[in-house]
Amino acid sequence: MEYFAGVSEALRLTFVQIMIISILSVGIFVVGMYINLKKWGMGSTGYGQAPSKSILTFPKTLMYQMNEHAHVHNQSVLKTFVFDILFQRRILQRSPVRWFMHFTIFVGWMTLFAMSGAMFFVEMTHMIGEKLGYAESLPWFMNPEVFRELLSTPNDIFSYILLVGIIIAIYRRLFVAKTRESTIAYDSILLIGLTVITVTGFIADGIRNNTIWNGVINFDWTIPMTNIALSLHYGDPIFPFTYAPPAALFHVIISLLFCIAYIPFSKYIHIIAIPLALLANKGGE
Amino acid sequence: MAKREPSINTENFTAVQLMELDSCSRCGECVNWCPTYDASGKNPGLAPRDKILRWKEFMNKSYGLRARLFGPKEISAEEIEQFKNDVYGCTTCGMCATVCESAINTVELWESMRANLVKRGNGPYGKQGMFLKLIGEYKNPYMADNKDRTNWFPKDIKVEDKAEVLYFGGCTAELRQRKLALATARVLNKLGIKFTMLGEDEICCGSALVRTGQYFINDTAKINAQKNIDNIEAKGAKIVLYACAGCYRASLIDWPRLTGKELPFKVVHITEFLQDLIKKGEIKWEKSIDKKVTYHDPCHLGRHVGVFEPPRAVLEAIPGIEFVEMERIKENQRCCGAGGGVKAGLPDLALGVASTRVEDALATNADILSSACPFCKRNLSDGRDAIGAKELEVEDVIVLVAEAMGIDLSDTPAE
Ligand code: HEM
Ligand code: SF4
Ligand code: SF4
Repeated sequence: MEYFAGVSEALRLTFVQIMIISILSVGIFVVGMYINLKKWGMGSTGYGQAPSKSILTFPKTLMYQMNEHAHVHNQSVLKTFVFDILFQRRILQRSPVRWFMHFTIFVGWMTLFAMSGAMFFVEMTHMIGEKLGYAESLPWFMNPEVFRELLSTPNDIFSYILLVGIIIAIYRRLFVAKTRESTIAYDSILLIGLTVITVTGFIADGIRNNTIWNGVINFDWTIPMTNIALSLHYGDPIFPFTYAPPAALFHVIISLLFCIAYIPFSKYIHIIAIPLALLANKGGE
Repeated sequence: MAKREPSINTENFTAVQLMELDSCSRCGECVNWCPTYDASGKNPGLAPRDKILRWKEFMNKSYGLRARLFGPKEISAEEIEQFKNDVYGCTTCGMCATVCESAINTVELWESMRANLVKRGNGPYGKQGMFLKLIGEYKNPYMADNKDRTNWFPKDIKVEDKAEVLYFGGCTAELRQRKLALATARVLNKLGIKFTMLGEDEICCGSALVRTGQYFINDTAKINAQKNIDNIEAKGAKIVLYACAGCYRASLIDWPRLTGKELPFKVVHITEFLQDLIKKGEIKWEKSIDKKVTYHDPCHLGRHVGVFEPPRAVLEAIPGIEFVEMERIKENQRCCGAGGGVKAGLPDLALGVASTRVEDALATNADILSSACPFCKRNLSDGRDAIGAKELEVEDVIVLVAEAMGIDLSDTPAE
């Protein structure tokens, strides 16, 4: 049986590897968030109060502040969630270009993330189903092969959406003087990581679909690296089947480590902290 | 070996504020708009984004992953001292909060950083250190005899002993910018509004202490706020009028916070009060002011609380006034430079910001740059003098109202 979210039968071990890396990533994420919650919890529960140093301080303070009356904007949680968190209108109000850049990254990333999660879920359900003998009674789309085909087009679409955002972001960081000058490692590492993930995603996908070196190449201009790697093996008919698993494995591992484990320790913390700040301040002033 | 103690602590920060440090996406909007960063010749230390980054790094060095594993990393005394200097180079104008893409409540963050540094023994900055002693001793920061708050009122002014309406004059208008206090009192008298005042029982609203991070020392700000509230209640007031943006904001937001109780009266800015009377047609204008007037939103009245329209409505109701707007107004207004203790602590910086604001006004070809706060008026006047723009008159809305109502203010005593 093939494991599509990453690897195939050729490497049975990889399933175990994926599980280990997943658990490790989530574990690192949890530890990191625990440290952050402890750090935030070093504050007090309210204005002028003494620090209380409990892990519950932060959630308590957040709830308290969300229930407080604000003097300028007193908007509802729903409004904040829809307009400020999902739609990110505070970025839009400041710069439509940056909003477009971020929104494509946000939508692309979130959707791919959700689809990977769904794929993983389908495979697990199916695999366990096979063991326990209920696989046959699952609805038709709960078959990994079918499900992967279903996701294939949206996968491509959202990968390109993500790529568009990343290209704008890289352009800004490299060629907009003001942005370039204020860039520190804390900023650039996000973009570098995301770029590597996206590019390896395309490579893995390309290898699997056998499109990269068959001339049907529709994206290798974005990834000259691919050409170098593949020229070594050009013409080797079994190449795709040998190298697809490691490429996919690499992609999955760095995605997990970078997009989950790294969140609490990097600027990715903004994925969690900005929505919380928006909620705490009712969408801001 | 004993583990090293963290160089900083988290006193005066709420848990949400510590989280906010991690929510800065470094978009740089705050840097584009900060008036003190601008006026300092773009001193990188004053950039709001940079201040957040530095404190975040202080936090991580003290309480982050590495600190938990291997003990906290020391932050040098010079680094903290430099940080203190930078965090006091801010008027708490709130522009950075308005534009922040992450909706960080930056003003409160600056105030918490300041309070933390005061507790640590680093803050406040320069002359601001006198505030506490002066307010404790004199009940005002100007070292004036507190009796002088209203005892200079000319005989014609009628202040009730008790009334539903109380005018909270504030230290600056009663002791320094007296024309403003006189104008307010005479306008109320002429409108037949019975009002009372606290007189020598009035105590500094505490704005200076809160903004500079000194509010918690001996609980001075809290005790004073409570005394003011009690005294106002004792006068039977249900509505308290303010013609000072600083006192207005302090009463509306800081007093309930400090005392932990809701106010037993309504806080109203004089322009809100007048707007209401204008709507009811209760103001009779006697004179026309045939001038071009622009209006500067005080940070503490506009951005902090959202009172944008009333002062404009009042100005537009005055006969003869041609009202023009500057480029940066309302939520996006540029600060006058006086607030946050900057006027006392870093007068040159205050002047720099004021000069830029005066240039904004000059660009509209206005004859009068008006505002609704004695503190703004003072700093904007200084800014005007600094750039030698003699032709521009700087005047408070309430003074213009008095003039248009045919009220003479030529008998205003000096300080
Ligand atoms: C509700 C969620 C989110 C909010 C409100 C938010 C907000 C922001 C903001 C305001 C910026 C600064 C933009 C600038 O530099 O001008 C930013 C940067 C960034 N965000 Fe998000 N973000 C969210 C979720 C995400 C997610 C899910 C990702 C996925 C990877 C992401 C990736 C990035 C990246 C890579 C940057 C850096 C762009 C650059 O520096 O050039 N964000 N975010
Ligand atoms: S409050 Fe105003 S002066 Fe202070 S950092 Fe923000 S924008 Fe600058
Ligand atoms: S505007 Fe807000 S998110 Fe952007 S750099 Fe400034 S503090 Fe950070």
